[in-house]
Amino acid sequence: MELPVVWANYISIALFLALGVGVWSIPKSAVVPAEYEHQSWRDLRFWATGLILFQIALYAYFS
Amino acid sequence: MQRQRESTLHPVDLAVVVTYVGLITYVGIRFSQRVKTAKDFFLAGRSLAWWVIGLSIIGTNVDTNGYIGASGNAYSIGIAQANFEWIGAIPAMIIAALIFIPLYWRAGVYSIAEYLGLRYNQAVRVVAASIVVVMSVFAMGVAMWALAITLQTFIGWPIWLGILVSGTVVGLYSVAGGLGAVAITDSIQVCIMFVCGLIIVAIGISDAGGTESFISKLTAENPTHLSAYLPADHETYPWHGVILGLGLVLSPAYWIGGQAILQRTLGAKTQWDASAGMMFAALAKTFVPVLIVFPGLLALVMMAEIEYPDMALPWVIKNVLPVGISGLMFVAIIAALQSSIDSSINSTALMITRDIRHVLMKNHNPDADLKIGRLLTLGLLLSAMSIAPYIGNLGGIFNFLQSLLSLFQGPMLALLLLGALSKRATGTGGIITLVSGVALAGILSWVVELNMLYVAFFTFCYAMPALWIISGFTQPHSEEHLKTLTYSPWRAR
Repeated sequence: MELPVVWANYISIALFLALGVGVWSIPKSAVVPAEYEHQSWRDLRFWATGLILFQIALYAYFS
Repeated sequence: MQRQRESTLHPVDLAVVVTYVGLITYVGIRFSQRVKTAKDFFLAGRSLAWWVIGLSIIGTNVDTNGYIGASGNAYSIGIAQANFEWIGAIPAMIIAALIFIPLYWRAGVYSIAEYLGLRYNQAVRVVAASIVVVMSVFAMGVAMWALAITLQTFIGWPIWLGILVSGTVVGLYSVAGGLGAVAITDSIQVCIMFVCGLIIVAIGISDAGGTESFISKLTAENPTHLSAYLPADHETYPWHGVILGLGLVLSPAYWIGGQAILQRTLGAKTQWDASAGMMFAALAKTFVPVLIVFPGLLALVMMAEIEYPDMALPWVIKNVLPVGISGLMFVAIIAALQSSIDSSINSTALMITRDIRHVLMKNHNPDADLKIGRLLTLGLLLSAMSIAPYIGNLGGIFNFLQSLLSLFQGPMLALLLLGALSKRATGTGGIITLVSGVALAGILSWVVELNMLYVAFFTFCYAMPALWIISGFTQPHSEEHLKTLTYSPWRAR
């Protein structure tokens, strides 16, 4: 049985959600150097989360 | 609706082009004064800031195919072309930024091949570097040829003159300034590309009567052009293949193993700048479809009369953009090509100098690296310029080499992933998996005649367990040796 094309969008969104979980499983110490510990904008996990949310929005819109 | 113009550039456009060439050459040569050592030449003296790295990565990534070819593809298949910028790039870029770039940085390597040499053995290093070097020379020739064709189309220059002028301009700053000059000029080039892209969007949507009108005109004749994926039975881009082959294998192999891309991150002033640079590039990459997909859709909406899809972008430049802006857009195309050529030249010179020469010539003199690097940069540029006029006749060889590189991606990704994330992978396991994986890819590609996207996926599926199992029977590196070469953030630091 062939899945409808829209499932490709669902799978993409699921992959991005899984990536988000993976990103937040990385400890802060591995992403932010000690000297920048109190500068939240340097935490690249937040940058990654913004990118992931944007991608999810794109794949939800272009379905 | 259409503003037809002559095929040559208006004097105002020509003035824009000349100003750009002067600016790029001046900036590149100014930067050359900072180059004193091989580290300055190949890694910009480890001085690059995150935003320069990010822009330079995009400049390196968007090439001829990315600009003219992608616009043509978007004309044919619609927004699905953007998968190469979205699922075919963003996840891999995030993983590269958070896992692989910190690893390469800590290993202190100049190249990904050097990392593979440390993690596996020198045979893997030389094989990996050699394949990329051979491919790069042809790719640079193709880019140089495409640049000359563009100059011929818009200005009417003969091919030889286009190659000579563009090669001289790229050579002036690449040979003198190395990676630093390349990264800075890339950044300027990407800014020009984005400004032009936004102007096209604004003018295009305005000419079409607004966003809603644009969308309704587009989807009236092409109902699937705003769908991110194409049906499973699509000949070139079936959605299974795009997710499995492009998203899970080809894209990660490119973003975590591509030397030309990653070299600027190795030239960062700190590890954080290196990772943040890739993350910033991912943000910019999300908007790259504005540059390369939108013009194709616009040509459809404006009912462009073109002979083949790749004419979509040139048509938009000639018929939609006003004088001055079309010159700037022309500059953006030249910039896209130049930024890919200069990056390839620098990274290829690096791999020959260090990954091949250092390994094969036991009595090499490391102090000569800068001189050799500059000579190689010049030599590679001249080689690319020499083969560029004949690239049409060499198409068969180039396609064969391109297929060969694709065969390499699945096994190479397995080596990078297991090498970085596990201590089990061994040198012997690495070389056996690499050779057998490429052989399997050859069979799937040429005997079974499978789509390349599936070949990449299936060879990756083979290489992962193969490397794991073979490594179990062979001698691993010591724990101490692997300490800085494997990623384990959960271990006490």
